[in-house]
Amino acid sequence: MEATQAEQKYNFEVVRWFSIMAVVYLVVGTLVGVLVASQLAWPVLNFDMAELSFGRLRPLHTNAVIFAFGGCVLMATAFYSVQRTCGVRLWSDKMAWFTFWGWNVIIVLAVITLPLGLTQGKEYAELEWPIDLLIAVVWLSYSFNFAMTIAKRKTSHIYVSNWFFLGMMVMITYLHVVNSLAIPVELFKSYSVFSGVQDAMIQWWWGHNAVGFYLTAGFLGIMYYFVPKQAGRPVFSYRLSVIHFWALMFGYVWLGAHHLQYTALPDWTGSLGAAVSLAMIIPSWGGAINGMMTLSGAWDKLRTDYILRFLIMSLAFYAMSTFEGPVMSAKTVNALSHYTDWTVGHVHSGALGWVAMVGAGALYHMVEKLWNTRMYSAALVNLHFWMATIGTVIYITAMWVSGIMQGLMWRDYDEFGTLTYTFAESVAAMHPYYAMRAIGGLIFWAGGVVMLYNVVMTVRQAVGQRSSSAAAATA
Amino acid sequence: MSNLGEYFHTDWAAMTSSDWVGLITTVGIFILFVALFVYVLHPKNKAALESKRHIPIDEDDRFDTEDKK
Repeated sequence: MEATQAEQKYNFEVVRWFSIMAVVYLVVGTLVGVLVASQLAWPVLNFDMAELSFGRLRPLHTNAVIFAFGGCVLMATAFYSVQRTCGVRLWSDKMAWFTFWGWNVIIVLAVITLPLGLTQGKEYAELEWPIDLLIAVVWLSYSFNFAMTIAKRKTSHIYVSNWFFLGMMVMITYLHVVNSLAIPVELFKSYSVFSGVQDAMIQWWWGHNAVGFYLTAGFLGIMYYFVPKQAGRPVFSYRLSVIHFWALMFGYVWLGAHHLQYTALPDWTGSLGAAVSLAMIIPSWGGAINGMMTLSGAWDKLRTDYILRFLIMSLAFYAMSTFEGPVMSAKTVNALSHYTDWTVGHVHSGALGWVAMVGAGALYHMVEKLWNTRMYSAALVNLHFWMATIGTVIYITAMWVSGIMQGLMWRDYDEFGTLTYTFAESVAAMHPYYAMRAIGGLIFWAGGVVMLYNVVMTVRQAVGQRSSSAAAATA
Repeated sequence: MSNLGEYFHTDWAAMTSSDWVGLITTVGIFILFVALFVYVLHPKNKAALESKRHIPIDEDDRFDTEDKK
Protein backbone atom coordinates (compact mmCIF):
# COMPACT_ATOMS: atom_id res chain seq x y z
CA MET A 1 0.00 0.00 0.00
CA GLU A 2 1.29 3.46 -0.87
CA ALA A 3 2.15 5.63 2.11
CA THR A 4 -0.40 8.26 1.09
CA GLN A 5 -3.16 5.66 0.85
CA ALA A 6 -2.26 4.30 4.27
CA GLU A 7 -2.21 7.86 5.62
CA GLN A 8 -5.77 8.44 4.44
CA LYS A 9 -7.02 5.04 5.52
CA TYR A 10 -5.59 4.93 9.05
CA ASN A 11 -5.19 7.35 11.93
CA PHE A 12 -1.41 7.57 12.11
CA GLU A 13 -1.25 11.07 13.60
CA VAL A 14 -2.11 9.95 17.11
CA VAL A 15 0.38 7.07 16.77
CA ARG A 16 3.08 9.59 15.80
CA TRP A 17 2.43 11.65 18.92
CA PHE A 18 2.45 8.62 21.19
CA SER A 19 5.72 7.47 19.55
CA ILE A 20 7.49 10.79 20.02
CA MET A 21 6.32 11.09 23.62
CA ALA A 22 7.49 7.52 24.30
CA VAL A 23 11.05 8.45 23.26
CA VAL A 24 10.93 11.64 25.34
CA TYR A 25 9.70 9.71 28.40
CA LEU A 26 12.38 7.06 27.88
CA VAL A 27 15.02 9.75 28.27
CA VAL A 28 13.29 11.52 31.18
CA GLY A 29 12.36 8.34 33.07
CA THR A 30 15.82 6.79 32.83
CA LEU A 31 17.44 10.13 33.76
CA VAL A 32 15.50 10.09 37.04
CA GLY A 33 16.59 6.45 37.38
CA VAL A 34 20.24 7.42 37.01
CA LEU A 35 19.76 10.14 39.62
CA VAL A 36 18.18 7.81 42.19
CA ALA A 37 20.81 5.14 41.51
CA SER A 38 23.50 7.77 42.07
CA GLN A 39 21.79 8.90 45.28
CA LEU A 40 22.23 5.39 46.66
CA ALA A 41 25.94 5.46 45.80
CA TRP A 42 26.53 9.08 46.79
CA PRO A 43 23.86 10.22 49.31
CA VAL A 44 24.98 13.84 49.01
CA LEU A 45 22.98 13.91 45.77
CA ASN A 46 19.78 13.94 47.84
CA PHE A 47 20.67 17.65 48.35
CA ASP A 48 18.96 17.51 51.75
CA MET A 49 15.67 18.36 50.05
CA ALA A 50 12.60 16.20 50.63
CA GLU A 51 11.31 16.76 47.08
CA LEU A 52 14.57 15.51 45.56
CA SER A 53 15.16 12.67 48.01
CA PHE A 54 15.39 9.02 46.95
CA GLY A 55 12.11 8.08 48.65
CA ARG A 56 10.14 10.54 46.53
CA LEU A 57 12.03 10.30 43.26
CA ARG A 58 12.15 6.49 43.13
CA PRO A 59 8.36 6.19 42.57
CA LEU A 60 8.64 9.02 40.04
CA HIS A 61 11.25 6.96 38.17
CA THR A 62 9.13 3.79 38.20
CA ASN A 63 5.99 5.66 37.16
CA ALA A 64 7.85 7.48 34.40
CA VAL A 65 9.41 4.40 32.85
CA ILE A 66 6.47 2.03 33.34
CA PHE A 67 3.46 4.25 32.73
CA ALA A 68 4.87 7.18 30.76
CA PHE A 69 7.35 5.36 28.49
CA GLY A 70 5.74 1.90 28.64
CA GLY A 71 2.21 3.30 28.35
CA CYS A 72 3.02 5.47 25.33
CA VAL A 73 4.79 2.55 23.62
CA LEU A 74 1.81 0.26 24.26
CA MET A 75 -0.69 2.83 23.04
CA ALA A 76 1.33 3.71 19.94
CA THR A 77 1.97 0.09 18.95
CA ALA A 78 -1.54 -1.17 19.76
CA PHE A 79 -3.22 1.63 17.79
CA TYR A 80 -0.76 1.14 14.91
CA SER A 81 -0.90 -2.64 14.62
CA VAL A 82 -4.64 -3.04 15.23
CA GLN A 83 -5.39 -0.76 12.29
CA ARG A 84 -2.96 -2.55 10.00
CA THR A 85 -3.91 -6.11 10.95
CA CYS A 86 -7.64 -5.40 10.87
CA GLY A 87 -7.55 -3.23 7.73
CA VAL A 88 -9.66 -0.46 9.25
CA ARG A 89 -9.20 2.97 10.81
CA LEU A 90 -9.46 3.37 14.57
CA TRP A 91 -13.08 3.21 15.74
CA SER A 92 -12.94 6.76 17.13
CA ASP A 93 -10.30 9.39 16.36
CA LYS A 94 -11.68 11.68 19.07
CA MET A 95 -11.43 8.95 21.68
CA ALA A 96 -7.85 8.19 20.60
CA TRP A 97 -6.92 11.84 21.13
CA PHE A 98 -8.70 11.81 24.49
CA THR A 99 -6.52 8.81 25.40
CA PHE A 100 -3.39 10.66 24.30
CA TRP A 101 -4.07 13.88 26.20
CA GLY A 102 -5.59 12.08 29.21
CA TRP A 103 -2.54 9.82 29.57
CA ASN A 104 -0.17 12.77 29.34
CA VAL A 105 -2.17 14.74 31.94
CA ILE A 106 -1.82 11.74 34.27
CA ILE A 107 1.95 11.77 33.74
CA VAL A 108 2.12 15.51 34.51
CA LEU A 109 0.06 14.95 37.68
CA ALA A 110 2.47 12.17 38.70
CA VAL A 111 5.44 14.50 38.16
CA ILE A 112 3.78 17.08 40.43
CA THR A 113 2.35 14.88 43.20
CA LEU A 114 5.05 12.26 43.76
CA PRO A 115 7.91 14.68 44.60
CA LEU A 116 5.46 16.47 46.94
CA GLY A 117 5.07 13.20 48.83
CA LEU A 118 1.43 12.65 47.85
CA THR A 119 1.30 8.87 47.63
CA GLN A 120 -0.74 5.83 48.63
CA GLY A 121 2.52 4.01 49.37
CA LYS A 122 1.52 1.02 47.21
CA GLU A 123 4.33 -0.03 44.90
CA TYR A 124 3.65 0.72 41.20
CA ALA A 125 0.27 2.14 42.34
CA GLU A 126 1.44 5.17 44.29
CA LEU A 127 -0.78 7.80 42.69
CA GLU A 128 -3.60 9.14 44.85
CA TRP A 129 -7.27 8.38 44.31
CA PRO A 130 -8.32 11.26 41.96
CA ILE A 131 -5.49 10.30 39.59
CA ASP A 132 -6.42 6.62 39.93
CA LEU A 133 -9.94 7.51 38.78
CA LEU A 134 -8.51 9.38 35.79
CA ILE A 135 -6.26 6.39 34.97
CA ALA A 136 -9.31 4.10 34.95
CA VAL A 137 -11.24 6.42 32.60
CA VAL A 138 -8.34 6.94 30.17
CA TRP A 139 -7.37 3.25 30.21
CA LEU A 140 -10.98 2.30 29.44
CA SER A 141 -11.06 4.78 26.54
CA TYR A 142 -7.90 3.14 25.14
CA SER A 143 -9.28 -0.37 25.62
CA PHE A 144 -12.75 0.40 24.29
CA ASN A 145 -11.40 2.10 21.17
CA PHE A 146 -9.08 -0.86 20.54
CA ALA A 147 -11.85 -3.43 21.06
CA MET A 148 -14.28 -1.53 18.83
CA THR A 149 -11.64 -1.28 16.09
CA ILE A 150 -11.32 -5.06 16.20
CA ALA A 151 -15.11 -5.35 16.15
CA LYS A 152 -15.37 -3.43 12.86
CA ARG A 153 -12.41 -5.21 11.21
CA LYS A 154 -12.47 -6.33 7.57
CA THR A 155 -10.64 -9.57 8.28
CA SER A 156 -12.19 -12.76 9.59
CA HIS A 157 -9.36 -13.66 11.95
CA ILE A 158 -8.02 -11.55 14.81
CA TYR A 159 -4.21 -11.73 14.62
CA VAL A 160 -2.50 -12.99 17.79
CA SER A 161 -0.78 -9.67 18.64
CA ASN A 162 -4.25 -8.20 19.15
CA TRP A 163 -5.13 -11.02 21.56
CA PHE A 164 -2.14 -10.11 23.71
CA PHE A 165 -3.04 -6.42 23.69
CA LEU A 166 -6.67 -7.16 24.51
CA GLY A 167 -5.74 -9.62 27.28
CA MET A 168 -3.56 -6.92 28.82
CA MET A 169 -6.34 -4.34 28.61
CA VAL A 170 -8.94 -6.55 30.29
CA MET A 171 -6.61 -7.68 33.07
CA ILE A 172 -5.08 -4.27 33.81
CA THR A 173 -8.57 -2.74 34.11
CA TYR A 174 -9.53 -5.42 36.61
CA LEU A 175 -6.24 -5.26 38.54
CA HIS A 176 -6.06 -1.46 38.68
CA VAL A 177 -9.64 -1.05 39.88
CA VAL A 178 -9.43 -3.71 42.62
CA ASN A 179 -5.98 -2.72 43.88
CA SER A 180 -6.91 0.98 43.94
CA LEU A 181 -10.10 0.55 46.00
CA ALA A 182 -9.64 3.12 48.75
CA ILE A 183 -11.56 5.38 51.09
CA PRO A 184 -10.73 9.04 50.34
CA VAL A 185 -10.37 11.25 53.40
CA GLU A 186 -9.04 14.34 51.63
CA LEU A 187 -8.44 15.44 48.06
CA PHE A 188 -5.00 13.82 48.07
CA LYS A 189 -5.25 11.35 50.94
CA SER A 190 -6.94 7.98 50.98
CA TYR A 191 -6.65 4.63 52.73
CA SER A 192 -6.87 1.25 51.06
CA VAL A 193 -10.03 -0.75 51.77
CA PHE A 194 -7.77 -3.74 52.41
CA SER A 195 -5.60 -4.13 55.46
CA GLY A 196 -2.87 -6.35 56.83
CA VAL A 197 -1.92 -9.43 54.90
CA GLN A 198 -4.95 -9.08 52.58
CA ASP A 199 -3.63 -5.67 51.55
CA ALA A 200 -0.20 -7.21 50.90
CA MET A 201 -1.74 -10.03 48.86
CA ILE A 202 -3.85 -7.66 46.74
CA GLN A 203 -0.84 -5.35 46.32
CA TRP A 204 1.36 -8.13 44.97
CA TRP A 205 -1.44 -9.66 42.95
CA TRP A 206 -1.44 -6.26 41.24
CA GLY A 207 2.34 -5.77 41.42
CA HIS A 208 3.27 -9.00 39.73
CA ASN A 209 0.51 -8.74 37.17
CA ALA A 210 1.58 -5.20 36.28
CA VAL A 211 4.74 -7.01 35.21
CA GLY A 212 2.87 -10.01 33.81
CA PHE A 213 0.23 -8.26 31.76
CA TYR A 214 1.33 -4.66 31.25
CA LEU A 215 5.06 -5.27 30.75
CA THR A 216 4.86 -8.81 29.38
CA ALA A 217 1.57 -9.57 27.62
CA GLY A 218 1.35 -6.09 26.10
CA PHE A 219 4.96 -6.15 24.94
CA LEU A 220 4.50 -9.69 23.60
CA GLY A 221 1.74 -8.19 21.47
CA ILE A 222 4.43 -5.84 20.17
CA MET A 223 6.81 -8.76 19.60
CA TYR A 224 4.27 -10.83 17.65
CA TYR A 225 3.58 -7.97 15.26
CA PHE A 226 6.91 -6.16 14.92
CA VAL A 227 9.39 -9.08 14.82
CA PRO A 228 7.71 -10.70 11.76
CA LYS A 229 7.17 -7.27 10.22
CA GLN A 230 10.77 -6.10 10.63
CA ALA A 231 12.20 -9.49 9.64
CA GLY A 232 9.84 -9.72 6.65
CA ARG A 233 9.04 -13.30 7.63
CA PRO A 234 5.97 -14.87 9.23
CA VAL A 235 6.13 -15.84 12.89
CA PHE A 236 7.78 -19.25 13.38
CA SER A 237 4.69 -21.04 14.71
CA TYR A 238 1.19 -19.64 15.02
CA ARG A 239 0.09 -22.66 17.06
CA LEU A 240 2.83 -21.98 19.58
CA SER A 241 1.68 -18.37 19.81
CA VAL A 242 -1.87 -19.52 20.65
CA ILE A 243 -0.60 -21.79 23.43
CA HIS A 244 1.73 -19.01 24.61
CA PHE A 245 -1.21 -16.62 24.89
CA TRP A 246 -3.55 -18.87 26.84
CA ALA A 247 -0.81 -20.24 29.10
CA LEU A 248 0.19 -16.68 29.95
CA MET A 249 -3.40 -15.62 30.65
CA PHE A 250 -4.02 -18.70 32.79
CA GLY A 251 -0.71 -18.75 34.62
CA TYR A 252 0.31 -15.20 35.43
CA VAL A 253 -2.51 -14.37 37.85
CA TRP A 254 -1.30 -17.03 40.30
CA LEU A 255 2.19 -15.67 40.80
CA GLY A 256 1.76 -12.65 43.10
CA ALA A 257 2.09 -14.69 46.31
CA HIS A 258 5.71 -15.53 45.54
CA HIS A 259 6.54 -11.93 46.50
CA LEU A 260 5.42 -12.72 50.03
CA GLN A 261 7.41 -15.82 50.95
CA TYR A 262 8.18 -16.08 54.67
CA THR A 263 5.53 -13.51 55.65
CA ALA A 264 2.17 -13.68 57.42
CA LEU A 265 0.62 -15.00 54.20
CA PRO A 266 -0.33 -18.70 54.53
CA ASP A 267 2.65 -20.84 53.56
CA TRP A 268 0.79 -22.81 50.88
CA THR A 269 -0.05 -19.68 48.88
CA GLY A 270 3.65 -18.85 48.49
CA SER A 271 4.38 -22.47 47.51
CA LEU A 272 1.57 -22.40 44.95
CA GLY A 273 2.85 -19.10 43.57
CA ALA A 274 6.35 -20.56 43.24
CA ALA A 275 5.09 -23.79 41.64
CA VAL A 276 3.09 -21.93 38.98
CA SER A 277 6.04 -19.53 38.49
CA LEU A 278 8.30 -22.46 37.67
CA ALA A 279 5.66 -23.89 35.31
CA MET A 280 5.54 -20.50 33.54
CA ILE A 281 9.08 -21.03 32.26
CA ILE A 282 7.62 -23.36 29.62
CA PRO A 283 5.24 -20.92 27.86
CA SER A 284 7.64 -18.01 28.35
CA TRP A 285 10.49 -19.84 26.68
CA GLY A 286 8.09 -21.15 24.06
CA GLY A 287 7.24 -17.55 23.20
CA ALA A 288 10.86 -16.41 23.21
CA ILE A 289 11.88 -19.29 20.95
CA ASN A 290 8.91 -18.57 18.70
CA GLY A 291 10.08 -14.97 18.29
CA MET A 292 13.73 -15.85 17.74
CA MET A 293 13.03 -18.74 15.35
CA THR A 294 11.07 -16.31 13.19
CA LEU A 295 14.53 -15.43 11.90
CA SER A 296 15.22 -19.07 11.03
CA GLY A 297 17.01 -19.11 7.69
CA ALA A 298 17.56 -15.35 7.74
CA TRP A 299 19.91 -14.83 10.66
CA ASP A 300 22.18 -12.83 8.35
CA LYS A 301 19.68 -9.97 8.62
CA LEU A 302 21.05 -9.28 12.09
CA ARG A 303 24.31 -8.14 10.49
CA THR A 304 22.70 -5.26 8.67
CA ASP A 305 19.34 -4.59 10.30
CA TYR A 306 20.03 -2.79 13.56
CA ILE A 307 16.33 -2.41 14.39
CA LEU A 308 15.96 -6.18 14.21
CA ARG A 309 18.88 -6.50 16.61
CA PHE A 310 16.89 -4.65 19.26
CA LEU A 311 13.92 -6.96 18.79
CA ILE A 312 15.93 -10.19 18.90
CA MET A 313 18.19 -9.12 21.77
CA SER A 314 15.06 -8.21 23.75
CA LEU A 315 13.87 -11.81 23.35
CA ALA A 316 17.16 -13.09 24.76
CA PHE A 317 16.63 -10.89 27.83
CA TYR A 318 12.97 -12.01 28.00
CA ALA A 319 14.08 -15.65 28.08
CA MET A 320 16.72 -14.89 30.68
CA SER A 321 14.48 -12.93 33.05
CA THR A 322 11.59 -15.39 32.73
CA PHE A 323 13.95 -18.12 33.86
CA GLU A 324 15.53 -16.06 36.63
CA GLY A 325 12.17 -14.93 38.09
CA PRO A 326 10.78 -18.43 38.72
CA VAL A 327 14.10 -19.56 40.20
CA MET A 328 14.00 -16.58 42.59
CA SER A 329 10.42 -17.41 43.57
CA ALA A 330 11.40 -20.86 44.87
CA LYS A 331 11.57 -20.68 48.65
CA THR A 332 15.17 -21.86 49.00
CA VAL A 333 16.47 -19.21 46.59
CA ASN A 334 14.00 -16.61 47.86
CA ALA A 335 15.40 -16.98 51.38
CA LEU A 336 18.65 -15.58 50.00
CA SER A 337 17.40 -13.21 47.30
CA HIS A 338 14.40 -11.50 48.88
CA TYR A 339 14.88 -7.88 49.99
CA THR A 340 18.27 -7.79 48.26
CA ASP A 341 19.52 -6.02 45.12
CA TRP A 342 19.24 -9.28 43.19
CA THR A 343 15.51 -8.47 42.86
CA VAL A 344 16.39 -5.01 41.53
CA GLY A 345 18.77 -6.62 39.01
CA HIS A 346 16.09 -9.10 37.95
CA VAL A 347 13.52 -6.37 37.43
CA HIS A 348 15.97 -4.38 35.31
CA SER A 349 17.00 -7.32 33.15
CA GLY A 350 13.30 -7.46 32.27
CA ALA A 351 12.70 -3.71 32.15
CA LEU A 352 15.83 -2.59 30.30
CA GLY A 353 16.65 -5.77 28.39
CA TRP A 354 13.16 -6.86 27.41
CA VAL A 355 10.65 -3.99 27.69
CA ALA A 356 12.83 -1.04 26.69
CA MET A 357 14.62 -2.89 23.89
CA VAL A 358 11.53 -4.41 22.27
CA GLY A 359 9.89 -0.99 22.70
CA ALA A 360 12.83 0.79 21.05
CA GLY A 361 12.82 -1.72 18.16
CA ALA A 362 9.11 -1.18 17.59
CA LEU A 363 9.49 2.60 17.82
CA TYR A 364 12.30 2.66 15.25
CA HIS A 365 10.19 0.46 12.95
CA MET A 366 7.18 2.75 13.31
CA VAL A 367 9.16 5.98 12.88
CA GLU A 368 10.34 4.77 9.46
CA LYS A 369 6.82 3.72 8.45
CA LEU A 370 4.95 6.67 9.95
CA TRP A 371 7.17 9.30 8.37
CA ASN A 372 7.77 7.21 5.26
CA THR A 373 11.53 7.55 5.42
CA ARG A 374 14.67 5.80 6.64
CA MET A 375 16.27 6.59 9.98
CA TYR A 376 18.49 9.68 9.84
CA SER A 377 21.46 7.57 10.89
CA ALA A 378 21.63 3.77 10.89
CA ALA A 379 25.00 4.08 12.67
CA LEU A 380 23.30 5.86 15.56
CA VAL A 381 20.69 3.08 15.79
CA ASN A 382 23.60 0.63 16.06
CA LEU A 383 25.30 2.85 18.65
CA HIS A 384 22.08 2.96 20.68
CA PHE A 385 21.80 -0.83 20.47
CA TRP A 386 25.28 -1.36 21.91
CA MET A 387 24.85 1.31 24.59
CA ALA A 388 21.54 -0.25 25.67
CA THR A 389 23.01 -3.76 25.72
CA ILE A 390 26.24 -2.84 27.51
CA GLY A 391 24.42 -0.54 29.97
CA THR A 392 21.93 -3.29 30.83
CA VAL A 393 24.62 -5.93 31.28
CA ILE A 394 26.69 -3.69 33.58
CA TYR A 395 23.57 -2.83 35.58
CA ILE A 396 22.35 -6.37 36.13
CA THR A 397 25.79 -7.83 36.77
CA ALA A 398 26.40 -5.22 39.49
CA MET A 399 23.07 -6.08 41.08
CA TRP A 400 23.67 -9.84 40.95
CA VAL A 401 26.96 -9.50 42.79
CA SER A 402 25.60 -6.91 45.19
CA GLY A 403 22.39 -8.84 45.89
CA ILE A 404 24.00 -12.21 46.50
CA MET A 405 26.65 -10.57 48.70
CA GLN A 406 23.93 -8.78 50.68
CA GLY A 407 21.97 -11.99 51.18
CA LEU A 408 25.06 -13.88 52.32
CA MET A 409 26.15 -11.09 54.70
CA TRP A 410 22.70 -10.79 56.27
CA ARG A 411 22.39 -14.51 57.01
CA ASP A 412 25.96 -15.09 58.22
CA TYR A 413 26.42 -15.70 61.93
CA ASP A 414 29.26 -16.81 64.18
CA GLU A 415 29.64 -19.78 66.54
CA PHE A 416 27.73 -17.89 69.25
CA GLY A 417 24.73 -17.38 66.98
CA THR A 418 25.40 -13.66 66.63
CA LEU A 419 25.16 -11.94 63.25
CA THR A 420 28.63 -11.55 61.76
CA TYR A 421 27.88 -8.27 60.01
CA THR A 422 25.87 -5.23 61.03
CA PHE A 423 23.39 -3.85 58.48
CA ALA A 424 25.56 -0.75 58.08
CA GLU A 425 28.54 -2.95 57.15
CA SER A 426 26.47 -4.60 54.42
CA VAL A 427 25.48 -1.14 53.12
CA ALA A 428 29.14 -0.05 53.01
CA ALA A 429 30.08 -3.23 51.12
CA MET A 430 27.53 -2.36 48.43
CA HIS A 431 29.10 0.97 47.49
CA PRO A 432 31.25 -0.19 44.52
CA TYR A 433 28.31 -2.05 43.02
CA TYR A 434 25.97 0.91 43.48
CA ALA A 435 28.49 3.08 41.64
CA MET A 436 28.76 0.43 38.91
CA ARG A 437 24.96 0.30 38.62
CA ALA A 438 24.79 4.08 38.25
CA ILE A 439 27.38 3.89 35.43
CA GLY A 440 25.42 1.11 33.69
CA GLY A 441 22.26 3.18 33.98
CA LEU A 442 24.07 6.26 32.68
CA ILE A 443 25.21 4.36 29.58
CA PHE A 444 21.65 3.11 29.01
CA TRP A 445 20.27 6.64 29.43
CA ALA A 446 22.86 8.06 27.01
CA GLY A 447 21.65 5.47 24.48
CA GLY A 448 18.15 6.89 24.93
CA VAL A 449 19.49 10.38 24.22
CA VAL A 450 21.08 9.06 21.00
CA MET A 451 17.69 7.60 20.04
CA LEU A 452 15.87 10.86 20.74
CA TYR A 453 18.38 12.81 18.62
CA ASN A 454 18.11 10.28 15.79
CA VAL A 455 14.30 10.29 15.87
CA VAL A 456 14.11 14.11 15.94
CA MET A 457 16.53 14.35 13.01
CA THR A 458 14.58 11.65 11.10
CA VAL A 459 11.32 13.53 11.57
CA ARG A 460 12.92 16.83 10.53
CA GLN A 461 14.41 15.16 7.48
CA ALA A 462 11.04 13.63 6.51
CA VAL A 463 9.17 16.89 7.01
CA GLY A 464 11.82 18.72 4.98
CA GLN A 465 11.55 16.21 2.13
CA ARG A 466 7.76 16.49 2.18
CA SER A 467 7.88 20.29 2.04
CA SER A 468 10.33 20.30 -0.86
CA SER A 469 8.23 17.74 -2.80
CA ALA A 470 5.11 19.84 -2.19
CA ALA A 471 6.94 22.99 -3.38
CA ALA A 472 8.17 21.17 -6.50
CA ALA A 473 4.64 19.94 -7.24
CA THR A 474 3.24 23.47 -6.88
CA ALA A 475 5.94 24.91 -9.13
CA MET B 1 3.14 -43.22 50.35
CA SER B 2 1.57 -42.45 53.71
CA ASN B 3 3.42 -39.12 53.74
CA LEU B 4 2.17 -38.36 50.26
CA GLY B 5 -1.35 -39.31 51.28
CA GLU B 6 -1.02 -37.05 54.29
CA TYR B 7 0.28 -34.22 52.11
CA PHE B 8 -2.68 -34.41 49.76
CA HIS B 9 -5.25 -35.06 52.49
CA THR B 10 -8.20 -32.69 52.25
CA ASP B 11 -10.84 -32.08 54.86
CA TRP B 12 -13.76 -31.83 52.45
CA ALA B 13 -16.21 -31.06 55.25
CA ALA B 14 -14.26 -27.90 56.07
CA MET B 15 -14.53 -26.51 52.51
CA THR B 16 -16.35 -23.16 52.45
CA SER B 17 -18.43 -21.98 49.50
CA SER B 18 -15.51 -19.73 48.44
CA ASP B 19 -13.26 -22.79 48.45
CA TRP B 20 -15.69 -24.67 46.21
CA VAL B 21 -16.04 -21.76 43.78
CA GLY B 22 -12.27 -21.49 43.57
CA LEU B 23 -11.76 -25.23 43.16
CA ILE B 24 -14.44 -25.64 40.48
CA THR B 25 -13.23 -22.57 38.56
CA THR B 26 -9.63 -23.74 38.64
CA VAL B 27 -10.37 -27.31 37.62
CA GLY B 28 -12.75 -26.01 34.91
CA ILE B 29 -10.09 -23.73 33.48
CA PHE B 30 -7.54 -26.52 33.65
CA ILE B 31 -9.83 -28.81 31.63
CA LEU B 32 -10.40 -26.04 29.07
CA PHE B 33 -6.65 -25.63 28.93
CA VAL B 34 -6.14 -29.31 28.14
CA ALA B 35 -8.83 -29.05 25.45
CA LEU B 36 -6.98 -26.06 23.97
CA PHE B 37 -3.74 -28.04 23.76
CA VAL B 38 -5.55 -30.92 22.04
CA TYR B 39 -7.17 -28.53 19.55
CA VAL B 40 -4.02 -26.54 18.79
CA LEU B 41 -1.70 -29.53 18.49
CA HIS B 42 -4.07 -31.78 16.52
CA PRO B 43 -2.52 -32.30 13.06
CA LYS B 44 -5.81 -31.63 11.26
CA ASN B 45 -5.87 -28.05 12.62
CA LYS B 46 -2.28 -27.28 11.68
CA ALA B 47 -2.88 -25.83 8.22
CA ALA B 48 -5.80 -23.64 9.32
CA LEU B 49 -3.93 -22.20 12.27
CA GLU B 50 -0.57 -21.75 10.58
CA SER B 51 -2.17 -19.90 7.65
CA LYS B 52 -2.80 -17.01 10.07
CA ARG B 53 0.88 -16.37 10.66
CA HIS B 54 1.19 -14.50 7.37
CA ILE B 55 -1.27 -11.77 8.40
CA PRO B 56 1.27 -9.04 9.28
CA ILE B 57 3.42 -9.83 6.25
CA ASP B 58 0.58 -9.90 3.74
CA GLU B 59 -1.41 -7.01 5.20
CA ASP B 60 -0.40 -4.41 2.62
CA ASP B 61 -1.12 -6.63 -0.41
CA ARG B 62 -4.33 -7.88 1.17
CA PHE B 63 -5.70 -4.40 1.77
CA ASP B 64 -4.64 -3.21 -1.67
CA THR B 65 -6.72 -6.02 -3.15
CA GLU B 66 -9.66 -5.23 -0.90
CA ASP B 67 -9.53 -1.55 -1.84
CA LYS B 68 -9.73 -2.44 -5.51
CA LYS B 69 -12.86 -4.59 -5.05
